[in-house]
Amino acid sequence: MERREALRLLATAAALPLVSGELNALLRTARAKTQSNDATLRTLNPQQNNLVVRIAEIILPETDTPGATTARVNQFIDLILTEWYDPNERNRFLKGLADVDTRARTRFGKEFMALVPDQQTQVVKELDDEMVAESAPETGPDHPADGFFSAMKQLTLTGYFTSEPGATQQLHFEIIPGHYDGCVPSDAKK
Amino acid sequence: MPETYDAIVIGSGMTGGWAAKELTEKGLKTLVLEAGRPITPEEDYVEHVPVWEMRFRGMRNRKQIREDQPVQGTCYACDEWSSKFFVSDKEHPYVTPANKPFSWIRGRQVGGRSIMWGRQCYRWSDLDFEANLRDGIAIDWPIRYRDIEPWYDYVEDFIGISGQAEGLPQLPDGKFLPPMQMNCAELAVKDAVEKYFGEERRLTIGRAAVLTKPHNGRAACHYCGPCERGCITRSYFSSVNATLPAAQKTGRMTLRPYSVVHSLIFDSKTRRVTGVQVIDAQTRQTVEYRARIIFLCASSLESARLLLNSATSELPNGLANSSGEVGHNLMDHIKYGGARGTLHGLANRTTRGRRPNIVYMPRFRNVKQKHPTFLRGYGFQGEAEQGDWSRGASQRGFGASFKQSISMPGPWEFAFEGYGECLPRHTNFVELHKEKVDAWGISVLHIDCSWGENELAMQKDMSIAGAEMLAAAGARDIQPFTDTAEDPPGFAIHEMGTARMGRDPKTSVLNSHNQAHDIDNLFITDGSAMTSSSCVNPSLTYMALTARACDYAVQAMKRGDL
Repeated sequence: MERREALRLLATAAALPLVSGELNALLRTARAKTQSNDATLRTLNPQQNNLVVRIAEIILPETDTPGATTARVNQFIDLILTEWYDPNERNRFLKGLADVDTRARTRFGKEFMALVPDQQTQVVKELDDEMVAESAPETGPDHPADGFFSAMKQLTLTGYFTSEPGATQQLHFEIIPGHYDGCVPSDAKK
Repeated sequence: MPETYDAIVIGSGMTGGWAAKELTEKGLKTLVLEAGRPITPEEDYVEHVPVWEMRFRGMRNRKQIREDQPVQGTCYACDEWSSKFFVSDKEHPYVTPANKPFSWIRGRQVGGRSIMWGRQCYRWSDLDFEANLRDGIAIDWPIRYRDIEPWYDYVEDFIGISGQAEGLPQLPDGKFLPPMQMNCAELAVKDAVEKYFGEERRLTIGRAAVLTKPHNGRAACHYCGPCERGCITRSYFSSVNATLPAAQKTGRMTLRPYSVVHSLIFDSKTRRVTGVQVIDAQTRQTVEYRARIIFLCASSLESARLLLNSATSELPNGLANSSGEVGHNLMDHIKYGGARGTLHGLANRTTRGRRPNIVYMPRFRNVKQKHPTFLRGYGFQGEAEQGDWSRGASQRGFGASFKQSISMPGPWEFAFEGYGECLPRHTNFVELHKEKVDAWGISVLHIDCSWGENELAMQKDMSIAGAEMLAAAGARDIQPFTDTAEDPPGFAIHEMGTARMGRDPKTSVLNSHNQAHDIDNLFITDGSAMTSSSCVNPSLTYMALTARACDYAVQAMKRGDL
């Protein structure tokens, strides 16, 4: 189907049942210019990247749907650290990342990546408990969270749920729902 | 010899689009001047671009917003997709006193702000048109509901407005397409509030310029959600989606983008405007165009600026300004007063599709009973929504069950936010700044506007009334709010009043047909014409007044009066 034809079809009510993946794709192709496909990391070094990948996967692991690693949350975090964060925010994040190893050594005598999964989970739990104790983070489009783990969690969630696998496979996001229903059972969302 | 047309329309947004359509359909060769760039829906509309294709995944380009759009970026619609529809604050500066911030949210492109508008459409009533007279405030409107009623019918027929007839005198029903659905939580709030407070607090689905069935060759809404990014199926009304194509079809419209109008040209012998001086935004060349009549539809503040910038040695205070009211009586709606809370129950219920509409509670203050602390009233916009995954960022937990739990819709939350009527005051005004100019060398505006006691009293009441209704609906964690720091004038993006209509040329700029008292062939039909502000969203009234003024102007031309 030509894009022009897709638009013409969509402009008629009869086409709504036909709104399909194919049509969605056609509608999008002309405009997908903004996407970053750059896999080269610009801020995180390989050690830092390993830590980010691992912690993100602990926060949002692969289940029957993809996890943070598959969604390339680390690339998103690197982009935000490079282009979005101010230098002081970036430094705070990287310092927090380094502290994860310090905690791991203090508690288990090894750096984080050398711990067994259960030990890694315990370190993350400690960070999470502290984050909750330190009160709710200031999140939002214009404010990165203050603490390292708040920021890490916020970026992991954003990076995952706004990725294609996160949005389509985990959230069942449809670009063109075609109709609105104001009251359906929650489990019917899938 | 400059190019000559029957009519020139300045601005291609909400009202300029209507003037273009009406004047060309009535046979006039019409030049439409737009300061900004052209819009090609197939390329510029981005409503179906998914978040994963956006560089910052919806978090916007923070550095670009901070540098180039610090004012525009405060608007919810200026997101990573739509920020291109908002002006660069660097190129379009303005000045305010330090203690009187004003949010001037602008779109400069073909379609203007009709591309990103909120689409809510409400008729005014005589409660509004008689308000100034009743309260002894400012001046009386020169028209009443009966004068504009047929024109509401006329524009609604073309626009296509979905909504529910309610039979309320303060909010007249229109010619509605089928209403969108209220969701189950909104219906629960509606039932509880109407049971507790009676019929006077009626919650209804928003009346929106979004089609619920095919209409005039445009398709019904497919509920993708973010209308402010454009709409390839033209299911919501904008000048790009509806009026400009209609004007184009006549073959009589010339649409000229990149045309920054510098001034109107006034002939002191005939006491008429003969044309306009335009700066080409790309070449910076000055061009002149002439016409028999001019429709000024550039938005309230831009139209006032243009009249002031058209001053001559004979008319040092600007054109059409013998009253001295041009630029004065600036109004907006006061918002950011209301309440939010979490609703019980309905945990296993959710919505499907993204409804581009809110629920609305028509004004209930000073309708039957006089309120002790303020005049006029406000309407509430509201919505019941369930939290999404982003709530997880501040919650304890991680791992598989956390992932699953935050992927499900969160608790239902309901928010009431008031939109309150602002009284017209001469002391809220704009004038040309003595030194500062914009990117095209045109003097910028100095905007001096603040809320008055009446607006602030109303805002406080919004938070109380909102909270008591949530309490009646059994909500938890009810948070009333009022915040003027979050809501400087201008932020409702309903600025109006800077060239008001009235009967007396000594106290008003325009007559009852939006025709300048001082200049017969000049019509101003954007928000500047408003004599009071009502509390409802104003665009529908601007559109009806524009169609009405076009009809009047063309009849006058045919009679030989113009």
